Amino acid sequence: MEYLWQAGGIVSATGPLKNGILVDHIVVEVTMRRALIVVLVLFVGAGIAWASGTKKRKLPPYEFGSVTINNYSQQSGMPPVVFDHWVHRQYFTCRLCHVDIGFGMTAGATKVRAVDNMKGYYCGACHNGRMNASKTKVFEACAKEYSREDYKRCVKCHALERDAAREEEFYRFADTMPKERFGNGINWEKAEEEGLIKPLDQLEGVSIMKAKLKVQQDFSLKSKVEGMPDIIFSHRKHTVWNGCELCHPEIFVGIKKGTSKYSMVELFDGKYCGVCHDKVAFPQTDCQRCHTKPV
Amino acid sequence: MMRTTALMRMVPAACLLLSVCLSKAYGDEVWRAEFDDACAKTTDVMTLSVDELGALIGRCERLQKVVEQQDETVRKVFLKRLQLCKDLYVYVLEAKNNEKLRK
Repeated sequence: MEYLWQAGGIVSATGPLKNGILVDHIVVEVTMRRALIVVLVLFVGAGIAWASGTKKRKLPPYEFGSVTINNYSQQSGMPPVVFDHWVHRQYFTCRLCHVDIGFGMTAGATKVRAVDNMKGYYCGACHNGRMNASKTKVFEACAKEYSREDYKRCVKCHALERDAAREEEFYRFADTMPKERFGNGINWEKAEEEGLIKPLDQLEGVSIMKAKLKVQQDFSLKSKVEGMPDIIFSHRKHTVWNGCELCHPEIFVGIKKGTSKYSMVELFDGKYCGVCHDKVAFPQTDCQRCHTKPV
Repeated sequence: MMRTTALMRMVPAACLLLSVCLSKAYGDEVWRAEFDDACAKTTDVMTLSVDELGALIGRCERLQKVVEQQDETVRKVFLKRLQLCKDLYVYVLEAKNNEKLRK
């Protein structure tokens, strides 16, 4: 069987005939059509996936806000660090860790080394074996040498796998807190209002003693979608937990209302409010937490 | 006689060593106190005048040079902290200047 190819398909061939048509010619045409459909379907599928982005896995409540840090751990033969925000935010404001202690706002950005912790910086600012939280001594982070017994302390942060005890601890804690529909299921704002948590904003020897922050006024932001209530931005709550320098100018560049122009697409992309909301603070799918102004 | 000479040599050496150690500790304390003072105004930044903001930015810039000479951990922590407070001062200063221009 011989074919003569030209752009657009087969123009002539020699082989067995069926009803005056070349049998091989028909087979080749059908195969080509199928291949074309497969390519087309793949192309359209890839296009849709690219346009919509890959769907994020919905995290179980105890995993929401967990950050995996693996800058140097595996190189040193240790499992990566799994940092649980829920454990820490019941004791401290965001500002204390992200401004005074100097942790970055994205996982792995700080590049914390064991030696930094041992010198009393980063995790070591509290995990120094001397500090007390809830009448319990905070375990010491990182050591140059460790025994088999010490290793139990290492795996508190360098988690080998999901710890069932840790998960249980989360649910025990969450049971005592006001409920929330999304995220880790805890309404932290309400928890503080009700006095269930009292996050510290200063750490002796680390924080700078400053004048008390002037209470900031909440303000409204116009919703861009018709029918969607406007946003009441809780500036007061945000400044109490974050201070000024955590958000300005790195996340929000304007002082005047409306200077930073952004859309929900950007927020879902992890910019602006999305730097915290969706990752640690309540997710943006909980529309009514922000779009609260009565219509 | 030899013992006295050795002792006489050791005393100044010890004094020198002590003074080096103390001056390092003192130096650390000095820049840390300057850092605490320069970055203490972030809570009332909006009440500061343009001149005050300019002075604070200048202090942050001078401090940056000192922090850059510290060991890696201290450098990493304090450059980040200094950056946060300096950026806030710069940002408020620019906003105030823009407002002045608009008027």
